[in-house]
Amino acid sequence: MASQALSAPLAATTAAHDGRRRRELIAFAILLAAFAVLPHLVKDVYAQNVIVLTLMYAALSQSWNILGGYCGQISLGHALYFGTGAYATSLLYTKFGVIPWFGMIVGGVIAAAIALVLGYQLFRLAGHYFAIATIVIAEAGLLLVHNWDWAGAATGIQWPFVPDSWLTFQFGRDKLPYIYFALGLFAATWLVTFAIEGSRWGYWWRAVKDNADAAESLGVKIFKSKMAAAAVSAFFTAVGGAFYACFVQYIDPDSVMAFKFSLLMALPAVLGGIGTLWGPVVGAVILIPLMETTSSYLGGTGRGIDLIVYGLLVMVVALARPEGIVSLFSRRKAPKA
Amino acid sequence: MTAQIFLQIVASGLLMGLIYALIAVGLSLIFGLMDVVNFAHGEFMMLAMYAVFGAVVIIGIDPLMAMPLAVAALFVVGATAYLGVVQHAMRAKANIGMVQIFATFGLAVLIRGVSQFLFTSDYRNVPAERNLLGGKTIELGGVFLPLPQLVGAGISVLAFVGLWLLITRTDFGKALEATREDAGAVALVGIDKNRVFTLGWGLGASLVGLAGAILAIFYYIHPDVAAPFALIAYVTVALGGFGSVFGALVAGIMVGLAEALTATILPPALKSVGIYALYLGVLFIRPKGLFGSL
Amino acid sequence: MLSRREFAGGAAALATALSTGARAQAPQEVKIGALYPLSGASAQIGNDAKTAFETAVDIINNAHPELDLPLGKEPGLPGLGGAKIRVIYADHQGDPQKGRAEAERLITQEKVTALVGTYQSAVAATVSQTAERYGVPFLSADNSSPSLHRRGLKYFFRAAAHDEMFSAIMFDFLDSLKKKGQKVETLALFYEDTIFGTDSSNVQRKLAGERGYKLVADIKYRANSPSLTAEVQQLKAANADVLLPSSYTTDSILLVKTMGELGYKPKAILAQAAGFSEQTFVDAVGKQVENYITRGSFSLDLARKRPTVGKVNEMFKAKSGRDLNDNTAREFMALLLLAEAIDRAKSTDGAKIREALATTNIPGEKTIMPWKKVGYAETGQNNDADPVLLQYTGGKFLTIFPEQAAVAEAVWPMSKS
Repeated sequence: MASQALSAPLAATTAAHDGRRRRELIAFAILLAAFAVLPHLVKDVYAQNVIVLTLMYAALSQSWNILGGYCGQISLGHALYFGTGAYATSLLYTKFGVIPWFGMIVGGVIAAAIALVLGYQLFRLAGHYFAIATIVIAEAGLLLVHNWDWAGAATGIQWPFVPDSWLTFQFGRDKLPYIYFALGLFAATWLVTFAIEGSRWGYWWRAVKDNADAAESLGVKIFKSKMAAAAVSAFFTAVGGAFYACFVQYIDPDSVMAFKFSLLMALPAVLGGIGTLWGPVVGAVILIPLMETTSSYLGGTGRGIDLIVYGLLVMVVALARPEGIVSLFSRRKAPKA
Repeated sequence: MTAQIFLQIVASGLLMGLIYALIAVGLSLIFGLMDVVNFAHGEFMMLAMYAVFGAVVIIGIDPLMAMPLAVAALFVVGATAYLGVVQHAMRAKANIGMVQIFATFGLAVLIRGVSQFLFTSDYRNVPAERNLLGGKTIELGGVFLPLPQLVGAGISVLAFVGLWLLITRTDFGKALEATREDAGAVALVGIDKNRVFTLGWGLGASLVGLAGAILAIFYYIHPDVAAPFALIAYVTVALGGFGSVFGALVAGIMVGLAEALTATILPPALKSVGIYALYLGVLFIRPKGLFGSL
Repeated sequence: MLSRREFAGGAAALATALSTGARAQAPQEVKIGALYPLSGASAQIGNDAKTAFETAVDIINNAHPELDLPLGKEPGLPGLGGAKIRVIYADHQGDPQKGRAEAERLITQEKVTALVGTYQSAVAATVSQTAERYGVPFLSADNSSPSLHRRGLKYFFRAAAHDEMFSAIMFDFLDSLKKKGQKVETLALFYEDTIFGTDSSNVQRKLAGERGYKLVADIKYRANSPSLTAEVQQLKAANADVLLPSSYTTDSILLVKTMGELGYKPKAILAQAAGFSEQTFVDAVGKQVENYITRGSFSLDLARKRPTVGKVNEMFKAKSGRDLNDNTAREFMALLLLAEAIDRAKSTDGAKIREALATTNIPGEKTIMPWKKVGYAETGQNNDADPVLLQYTGGKFLTIFPEQAAVAEAVWPMSKS
């Protein structure tokens, strides 16, 4: 019954669906091209730094969105994976001389493994219990790293000062390599999301959201697919963390594992449109530059003006556009589709 | 470990635990009523601490006398937060869970920013000369019981009894119960859902306000003071079970004891790990917390 | 309240940033970038630092013939045709990434000629690295981590002492007490789980081993804990001859309050400054630990020998309502030293300022600090920044060590019990 009801309209809209997916790919190509050109137009180092962060958070939020948006598992502990990537890369590089490119992959795999173990335990928790549990596990991780002497504990890890090189992925002043890496990471996460949307997983997840009966019949498959989604999400988040370590060249527990990172990964997706393909990047493009500039140009007053602006912004956007900013565009299209 | 040291640890853990319980119960109450996690809960507490500080410095009364004032002020803050923010978040047609999280999170950041703007980032302390309880302590057989915490724990117990009476014995309590059971149906029997929610938020904020007022007696005050307490409150609520008042009480005490014991066994820097382990252990056996039904 | 002008200033800065063009450097003005935490848990430190810098700017830009300080007499920088100093503030929020980005912004957008900062050592690590890459000098005003000057950076300078120098004088003092026949055998370390706490305790642990003291407690605690009861319980059980805390303001206050609540009266406290030298701490709980000792970079009773110290303190107090302390004195001095080097370099070029800084040679009497002199070693560290030990007695800090700087005999132990 349930599957019939679901598949009939699906077949009818397949053509329109394919057309829409093709248009999305084209829009994506244009976006990539725009971001690739942007740093050649904006030479200011500070602005380029903002571009790096925007792309990084777009990628992180896109990764978060796979689990938090599409699967509906609201994780507020992704800082754990971010930190795993940053620490794995930094430790391998500074202690064993392993180049960051390799460390990045190692960090990603470790994070994915952690996500599988945690997912197995946590997916049976309902809504808020899941969210709080992820916060607590990430906090526990932060505390442990804080007290892990071999990993530098509170002192953190200072990367050695070396000349610019692609091999060690370190550049003193040049922001272009970082912009392109962040752009590549964002592209990868976007394409993975795009592929998932068109796959059986995406279909199942949508079915579960729309139809409670479907959830029953798909139970086991859903659980497995969510586990896989958690692993993918954690992997890319860790690669993002590894990238951050290469970018800043100094990490300590609070600067890569604090709760605020977990929020900053979820926030763009929420603002842009949770569980949507374009939400995270739209959210990041609006949120990150605004946050950075308010804290840079209003933070100097020392009176909390930047916090007031940031808080108001988050509140107003959450209230004014609960479906996210991308809904502004899809609503116009709605009659057509 | 001597028996005396052990008793001291248990006593300290118990006193702190009762205060944690009082911080957490308002959060749990609001959640039980309307399924909303208030991420500005800690900031409410911070505002209450400033209210007490302001009353002591400006009016010149003892922090104990300032407590009702802080509670009343926080009732207004809570009700206003509901009417101004949460009510609108509830109307969202999509992603209602995320909208609530981020609406209240935005509110939290805003309150911190406004507090820094108005009160500056200076660390404040209730002046010792106007603080009847501050720094006083009583000794029972080598076990020290600080008066502020002792009185605070007593007030916490009284607040829980009062809350229990309120929920079980008054019309408002019944309306509260009915609304949490079925918010749609209560309209039929003439209960204004919005009014109950407004009062519920006021009550929840008052309770954390009371906790903040107690803390103000012996803790320092600044705009970021609440963060570590808020995290403990979330864990306490989830441990006790979202929505359960009794659960918050039991969980608060357990958290207080777990913290004190862990700090004795492990390096104190890791004492929160004890709380987290306790919480995860319970969640493993009871996914909805000790007394949760939601 | 935030003045209208400040807000307008912020808005103007925002507008400038949005219109991409970098402003041409005004020849009459030399900009220095200051990176401090101006929001979050340490915001008070940053705001106090601003006042310290404003005091220094007043002295540099206006004629103060009554002060025996570099650049005190003439208005502005004579070496640059009387150019005025302007400090541009940036909020790094205690975040190393933000610190790095803000340093870059100050260097490339605001065109600052030098940087000063940063309070948190973690942020200093990334800021100094950025400064190095752009060839802009960074003068660490108040970071005490010894690792900072050991990275071979050419543009890093620090006029004040670091943790090893601070801890060394603390142990010199304990040794001198032992020689006088006091019983000083056991020590208790109590430190927060940050870079500051870790560095400080590492040096203290090492020195204790070398000089034959016994550690009876070694307690690392989580900064900004809701309660320190269990920690104090352990300190009380150990009851060491000397308690050596390394804590910032909030935890220092909570530590002393909790000690009172648990009936623990330490025989002596010898603190690694930080919270213990803050006015807020003294106001809140100073009386409860009468006669505690803290190391310091600065001592107000220098004013007895050097009138300038008292006058600068009055200027600072008029703006802030507080006396100069360990942090604010170092911050004040740092800006003055940077300006002095820029003046001597007769240029706003980073490399030339670096050269001028490297050849700095200012006698201690020309500063407000108890230092022998200011002159940087190859590493950028001033090894002549002698710290002092201060005892809080009768509502005042008195210098008690080293002997040549002391104005009073140490009360030891702090409480008879």
